[in-house]
Parts: sequence; structure tokens; C-alpha cells
Amino acid sequence: MDMNVIANDNVRIIRLSGRFDAFETPATNKWFETNVSATESRIVVDLSGVNFLDSAALASLVKGMKRCREHGGDLVLCNFQQSVRIIFELTGLNKAFKITDNEEAALKAF
Amino acid sequence: MRLAIVSTYPPSRGSLNEYAYYFVEHLRRKLEIDEVILLTDDLPDGASYPQAPDRVRILPSWRFGAMNNALRIRQTVEQIKPDAVLFNMQFATFGDKRIPGALGLTAPMLIKQMEIPVIVLLHNIMETIDLSKAGFGGNPLMEHITRLAGDLFTRMLLSADMVAVTIPKYVELLEAKYKARNVMLAPHGAFEDAPPPSIDLHPEVLRIMTFGKFGTYKRVEVLIDAFQLLRDHLPDTSMELVIAGTDSPNATGYLEQVRTRYAAMPNIVYTGYVAESDVARIFSEATIVVFPYNSTTGSSGVLHQTGNYARPAVLPNLGDFAELIQEEGYTGEFFAPENAVSLAAAIRRYWENPDKRRQDAMQNYLSSVGIPISEVVDWYLLHLEPLLQARVEQPAKEKPQWT
Repeated sequence: MDMNVIANDNVRIIRLSGRFDAFETPATNKWFETNVSATESRIVVDLSGVNFLDSAALASLVKGMKRCREHGGDLVLCNFQQSVRIIFELTGLNKAFKITDNEEAALKAF
Repeated sequence: MRLAIVSTYPPSRGSLNEYAYYFVEHLRRKLEIDEVILLTDDLPDGASYPQAPDRVRILPSWRFGAMNNALRIRQTVEQIKPDAVLFNMQFATFGDKRIPGALGLTAPMLIKQMEIPVIVLLHNIMETIDLSKAGFGGNPLMEHITRLAGDLFTRMLLSADMVAVTIPKYVELLEAKYKARNVMLAPHGAFEDAPPPSIDLHPEVLRIMTFGKFGTYKRVEVLIDAFQLLRDHLPDTSMELVIAGTDSPNATGYLEQVRTRYAAMPNIVYTGYVAESDVARIFSEATIVVFPYNSTTGSSGVLHQTGNYARPAVLPNLGDFAELIQEEGYTGEFFAPENAVSLAAAIRRYWENPDKRRQDAMQNYLSSVGIPISEVVDWYLLHLEPLLQARVEQPAKEKPQWT
């Protein structure tokens, strides 16, 4: 999985692509632990390039969201492929996250 | 948040007690939680639960097999006024007879009528239970009636705000058959934040271990027959069969019958009840963990433990298991259910291929740590948030009236 992070004012945008599974989550977990703080707690995760994610990946995103919220911010998801959307609906996590169609809408969601 | 959980809990030996233990152990440490109130089953012979851990209160509120469990649970909930109630249950949680078992299943609906948010974590669903093997068999007419009743009680369970299941197929089935829109998939979760595994699979002795509550769909006769075949085929191999666990509540006396029937066979160890503190040792000493199931009633906590302790698994080729394994990344050697020759061959394949044993044990370990139960608990808290918020936002006249 590829992971690119860009800054947009006070929001970090993480663009992920490829297969997001248990073998990739140590990197995302570490990123959230290292980078989310009181001053950096607004995160957009763009999943447009992710074609598969498993429960470990969902757990990593949940962990990231909780950390952002604990620091007064939030984690917004955007650009779901159909297979990813189905997983979120199946787990009911589509109701727990803010999810938008694209990055522009995600940036406005804070 | 003050969360009530209706469940068995150690030292109760009822099904799902271990799951509840780990779930509560992680839940009570969460910032969102002020108190966990466990509505447990009465212990036998008037025994008391030991001191509860911090932020946990234990209130025995029902008894396996009693007719009035739903009413007792409702009364307890009225007294303690929790913010929400979570049921950790399966279809036979409240009894091994049809009527008490079914009456207990009305409890979530009764709590929901009190306008308290209710989540049901349902470890099996009626549609996938082989009634005769699960201890609810009888003649075909009775099975048909039991199925109809099962449909009715499933609908009652679905009146909860949310029903969580651990297998994707269950979500699809409940949505298709009952038009349910409140069912979600929740990972089972690994019981422990597992330590780095020891992949020492004891090459000096073939120790075959099976773990669980036996006598209904988990039966050991075929495993013992397979063990005898292995002894015949591998006369120079030191081997032991460890049957770890107790009777299922629906099959009292089963293991004693087995022990009597196979009394002449050496090298079989019956551990009886395995205390929490002994679980790690039992798994770690096993060369191979075998699942002698002839049907399944849901996902398998034992499979997750097998992964936690980095053991290779010999698994029946059953639909639910195959699906669970595929979706959660586990692996194993497969055998045809209820076929001793096939089971013996599967065990032998592993025994004669140490590299594959280690490789599969590591895969099971990696799969089990994919999502520990401490993180699964977060999912439930996330799902509870909007339910609690909706309750706060209700107009005052619609709020529950406590009497």
C-alpha cells in the first residue's frame, strides 16, 4: 500500500492506495500516534486508491479517528470505491465516520 | 457511560464466559466508561462471584434454564438505570430447553420497551444451527415448530437498536430474511494483546489438543478414533491427546460417558474445566489444535485463541468455518467432518511437515492480532454514541418513566 501525506492549511490529507490490511496497519497506526496532536488533529483520509480493506484497516481508521477527536479534531474519510463502501455499510461504521465524496467536501466537513 | 452487560462471566461456566471476561476487561479501561454492570447468571449452589475488578459491578440476575429470566433482567435494569444495555448471547444462552431458552430471548425486547438503548451481540443465528446437533433435536415436526419459533424470537431480537454478528453471511441472511436494517458486522477480536509467539511446536511429542465445551456439535469420539489410527500408523511416535474443557450445558455427563467408553485407551488426558490462568499453558503445550465439530453455531473463540498462541489448526470442512477462516486470514489442515480417517490424515500431514506447521501457526497468529478485542470494544462504543445522543435529544415527554 502506498501512503502519501500532504498538508492543506491546518488539515493533513493522507492519500492511500492499494490493499489496506493487517500487514499495512502498523504504518498507519504509527503515523496517527506520531503525528496527531492538539495542533494537528484534523485529518482527511482519501481512500480513492484503496480496493480492499480488512478489519485491521478499519480498526486503524477507528483508532485514528478516536485520537483526532480526543485532541479536539476529527478524521474525515472520502472517495470510497464500491468495495470499500460495502465494508463500511456492513460494519455500520459508515454511521460513525464523516464520509464525503471527495477531498474538497472533506475539507469543508470540519 | 454506565453500561449494563447481560452475559455469563467467569467463574460461571456458561457459554461465552471467556468472551465476556476479555470484553469487560478492556471495556472498563475505556475513558468513555464510568461503570460496567454485569448482569450475570446465578452461580450454582449459592456460590458468590469473586470481587469484581475496578469500575465493574456484578449483579447475578438470571439463572440458566429458569422461566423468569427476562423479567428478572428487566427488574434489575429498572433498578440500576444504565445508559445502555448490551447482550452478549447466543440462542441457547438462557436455557437448554425450548421454553426457558426462548423466554430468555425476549429480554432485549423488554429492555428496548423501556426506551433504553440495546445492542445485542449475537454469536449465532437460528438459520445456521443444526438443531439436533445443538441439543434441540426431536422429531421433524418439533424441529419445524422450533424453527418457526426461532423466526419469531429472531424478530424479537432484531427489535434491539442494533444487532451485531461476527460473520458477514449472518448480516446478509438477517437482512434478506427479516428485512433487518439494524444488523452490523463486528469482528470477534482476539482475546489478548498477544505476546510474541513461541513457535516451539514440541517436535519430541505429538500433543493433539481440543478445547471447548463438548457434547453437542463439538464431539470427541471421532477425534479419539483418529488418535487410535495415528497410534497404529505411527507406532514410534510419542503422542498424547488432550481433551481440554467440560460438558456443554446442553450435554451434561457427555465427557464422563466418553471417558468410560474409551477407558482402555492410553495417553488421553481429560483436563476438566480450564481456569483462565491455565489457558495459555494448555495452548502453548499443544503441537496441533483440533476442532472436532460436526456443525457450527457461529464463529469460534477457540480459533482466535489458537491464533493468539500461534498454533496450527486442524479444522472441519464446514461452511461457516471455511468462510470465517478465509475472511479473517486463518488457515489450517482440513478434514471431512465426522470422518476419523480424514481427521487422522490431516493431523499426520501437519506432523510430518514441521515447516508448514510453523508457517500456518504464524499466519494464525498474525490473523489473530489483526484486531484485538480492546479495539473491537471501541467499535461498540462508537455505535452506542449516536444511540445515546438520540435518547438525549428525545422530547421530554418521550423519555422513559421510571417507577
